[in-house]
Amino acid sequence: MTGAGLIKVSRRTTLQWLAAITAGSNMSITCSAMAQTASSQKGQLENAIARGYGTDPDLINPSVPWPRTLTPRQLRVIAVLADLVLPGTSTAPAPSVLGLQDFVDEWVSAPYPQQQTDRKVILEGLKWLEAQSQWRWAEGFLSATDAQRKELINLMVPKSSAEKGPPYIFFRRFRQVIAGAYFTTPEGAKDIGYIGNVPLPGYPMVTDRERIVLDEELRKLGIKAN
Amino acid sequence: MKELYDVIVVGSGAGGGTSAYVLTQAGLKVLMLEAGREYDPVRETPMFQTPSQAPLHGAPTPDKSGGFYDATVDGGHQIPEEPYAIADDSPVKFRWWRARMLGGRTNHWGRFSIRFGPYDFKPRRRDGLGVDWPISYEDLAPWYDKVERFIGVAGANEGLENTPVSPPGVLLPPFPFRAREYFLQRGLESMGISVAAAHLAILTQPHNGRPPCLYATPCLRGCSIGANFQSTTMLIPQARATGNLNVRTNALVYQVDLGKRGLASGVSFVDRKTGAHHSVRGKSVVLAASTVETARILLNSCTSAFPDGLANESGEVGRNLTDTIMVHTVGQFPALEKLGPRNDDGASIFHMYVPWWGYQSQARKQLDFPRGYHIEPHGKYTMPEMSEMGQYAEDCRAPYGAAFREEMRRKYGSYIYLSGRGEMIPNEKTFVDLHPTLKDKWGIPAPRFHWQWGESELQQAAHQQRTYLEIIDRLGGRFVPEQSVGVDTPLPTGVHETGTARMGFADKDSVVNQYGQSWSVKNLFVMDGSVFASHPRSPTLTIIALAWRNSEYLVDQARRRNL
Repeated sequence: MTGAGLIKVSRRTTLQWLAAITAGSNMSITCSAMAQTASSQKGQLENAIARGYGTDPDLINPSVPWPRTLTPRQLRVIAVLADLVLPGTSTAPAPSVLGLQDFVDEWVSAPYPQQQTDRKVILEGLKWLEAQSQWRWAEGFLSATDAQRKELINLMVPKSSAEKGPPYIFFRRFRQVIAGAYFTTPEGAKDIGYIGNVPLPGYPMVTDRERIVLDEELRKLGIKAN
Repeated sequence: MKELYDVIVVGSGAGGGTSAYVLTQAGLKVLMLEAGREYDPVRETPMFQTPSQAPLHGAPTPDKSGGFYDATVDGGHQIPEEPYAIADDSPVKFRWWRARMLGGRTNHWGRFSIRFGPYDFKPRRRDGLGVDWPISYEDLAPWYDKVERFIGVAGANEGLENTPVSPPGVLLPPFPFRAREYFLQRGLESMGISVAAAHLAILTQPHNGRPPCLYATPCLRGCSIGANFQSTTMLIPQARATGNLNVRTNALVYQVDLGKRGLASGVSFVDRKTGAHHSVRGKSVVLAASTVETARILLNSCTSAFPDGLANESGEVGRNLTDTIMVHTVGQFPALEKLGPRNDDGASIFHMYVPWWGYQSQARKQLDFPRGYHIEPHGKYTMPEMSEMGQYAEDCRAPYGAAFREEMRRKYGSYIYLSGRGEMIPNEKTFVDLHPTLKDKWGIPAPRFHWQWGESELQQAAHQQRTYLEIIDRLGGRFVPEQSVGVDTPLPTGVHETGTARMGFADKDSVVNQYGQSWSVKNLFVMDGSVFASHPRSPTLTIIALAWRNSEYLVDQARRRNL
């Protein structure tokens, strides 16, 4: 965690802040707090009765059998964060427009080991964001400005692949889940360039134009045309 | 169950399905026993469903470890009620893939259907390792022809070394190479390596009343229109239509029963739903439960006459177990970023493959490993999947925002996966036996895997890796180690197990003869991949061809009352 200069806060604000971040957690405001184990998270892993879809689910009419578990506030933070990772464009909607915060809820509420691991990482990450925002600006993440939010995200971006501690784990995993979720939607798939999954009478062969492009690239690599 | 069938067929996949088809066509009364449930691809295949319609957008989970839409039912690397063990001293933790469904693994396989070549049937004669098959390529060729005609295989005849040609008019038109495959072809040819059209059990034109491929849905989901090969659309319905086939599902066979004169009298199974035990009677028994399951049944069928397991006078049951050597190497190719969107789904699998090109080098003693491998390249605009897109995100330099989106879009379609399929030499340390204490839910001893890669396998894996890195470099690409598997990480397993009831020339070192017939119990046949004497490449077409030929032999022998 880089020092951005302590900001004076009122005692009242400090108490509010402490109440917010310690609810259900023993986390303090330092980065190392994210290394705490899931024991502090037990209260939120109340999925003992949640079931997966089993080894023989209906593939024609799929459904999700486990309940979602995130709070409205957590969903709003995820929506904001997701839209920062993949801002909408004139032709492609932002993740929150597609409701992908609900997908993240589905993901971290799923009773499978990978998703449960991701749950710990992501919920800890959300807490870290909140605590950082409070500590720096005496405001929650949702009240922070766009520039302030970007400042926090930049803290989470690993500077090299060697960086493995939190909050880098959170950022990398969150980005993977959001990118995966986004580009597997019809809108996201179209944006990335996928135009398949339609029945065709034949395979569309390599066009002359494609061949010209590839032959030129191959020529640059020292591979001459026949 | 009192009825006496002509043949009990255990298993409903490539071997069992083929056997049931041939036997019922010939008028024999067959009972087919399948451990999994009834399954109908026509009703059950999700043909156009998209990832975002599925839980977790289709991401793999322990329930569906091939992805949500993968056809596998009640299967995967672990079946909770049916554990298996890895021996304590086994350096490799073999991961065993099973499906519990009618049609078995033919429902979700890749449809790559390649013949073994003349070299592959006489490997010992060529390099002194392993054993020869008791048949030659010429002995099996008529059945390769028959099977290709029947199931419909698209491909071409390039006439490369040890790559047999099919007779004129047998193969259907090949799938044209994709743009990325053309790119790869040019790079390989500049390295002196020839490519070939993949032989795929997928129709490129109408065939025997079946429609051609729609060039959309991934074959691993199955196919509701019957445009590719799976036992549940190509063999079992046709066998049922003869009126000679009974199918019982949820029937887990654990023992071949012996009757008078040391002949098989039938099998015993447990109903997986009720736990009740049943025995059924047949004049002959065909085991096609898949390599490890068949070995398990034989080993579990001990009698005073067969204390080490039925048909195991040679001691080879469970031995000579092999799998395919697979190294996956991923490259990202800036040159491919220049291409624009196109519909690349095609046959879902590769249209082009690279047959083994190293025979001459081996003859000149320039290689440090025997046998060889072929390359299956994957490169196209695939339907985006959760794990794939997540990996691309990890490979982006831009951390987030518009630059991140731009980089994802730019690099999509620029990755090529080079995936090898190589030949393993059977070794003493790799086999399956029965665990002394671990049992499944119904008290049947669990299989125990002993697995060690030999020097030849590790040398070959290293050659695969070196070759793929050279290809990537040649084409201006960047190696992506995080997505690559098999050199610094364990070699994957559980794709193509074979060998546990190998065929041979005599009973002293083989379990069955060239017809898959037990040396000692002449009405007991094996018709799955366990009969393979060597394992050069993808086994499915050869399992079908052998099952066809050997079922015809069974019919002939039954008519002559030799069984």
